[in-house]
Amino acid sequence: MPSRSDDHRWSQQHLSHYVEGELDPRARSRLDRHAVGCVDCGRGIRAMRALVYAVQGLDGLAGVRAPATIFDRVRLAGGAPSPSSPNA
Amino acid sequence: MPPLAGQRVSDAADTEARLIARAQAGDVGAFERLSGAYADRLFMLLLRLLGDRGEAEDVAQEVMLRAWRGIGGFRGRSSYFTWLYRIAVNEANRALEKRGRRPPAVPIGPDELQLPGPATDDPSRQAEFRELRRALSRALAELPPVLRTAVVLRDVEGFSTQEAAEIAGVSQAAFKSRLHQARRRVRAAIGDEALVSSGG
Repeated sequence: MPSRSDDHRWSQQHLSHYVEGELDPRARSRLDRHAVGCVDCGRGIRAMRALVYAVQGLDGLAGVRAPATIFDRVRLAGGAPSPSSPNA
Repeated sequence: MPPLAGQRVSDAADTEARLIARAQAGDVGAFERLSGAYADRLFMLLLRLLGDRGEAEDVAQEVMLRAWRGIGGFRGRSSYFTWLYRIAVNEANRALEKRGRRPPAVPIGPDELQLPGPATDDPSRQAEFRELRRALSRALAELPPVLRTAVVLRDVEGFSTQEAAEIAGVSQAAFKSRLHQARRRVRAAIGDEALVSSGG
């Protein structure tokens, strides 16, 4: 059976997995049980959620337009694209 | 009778498929229409990854040139958009390697781009939010390019893990590992207190 310090290290490593909903039920339950009695991990869960939320809030570039020059090199290159081997 | 939503999606896919075929046959105009539909979003991605408008413009031109040269080999195993984005991520990382230094410290949301503020009129909360935003930008700028790419694709751009992994050109497991590692580093750099008190 893992010790409390094992649980703590493991929980700290898996907070991102936790907020992402990637832990299986058993692992999620392990972290939940540990976080109930661990101030650091309880706060860690809130911090990780806040981090993801805040990073999503950085998506504020709406209205940015690509430069009109974006196809300049394509036009300069001209001609047909090379019939290269399949790449995607 | 207006077309059903499904029909419109199908029509759009059909149009894109036609543009791809014409571009592969050498029609530059078709290529510009095809790729131009994604140009703004692609440019925003480059701005976020590179943090420098001039460099993002240069790399955006290079991305389009590489896409034009490579479209003959596009076989539709991924969507055109995913394929184009993958070229952009590769070119951005190549530029960062060439640059030989980390991105500038105001990379993802320069103030000039007027990021949305917090939904509050409280000046102290707004100041906290601005400070958190600066700290986030600094922390993201310090990440190695592959970790930074993971956060930008998944958390900022909002792609699913599957899409983001395809664009990054790695397995989903490898992508998740990068994402979690990146988040751990950013969390450590900012600190739990600052994140929690921001109210997230």
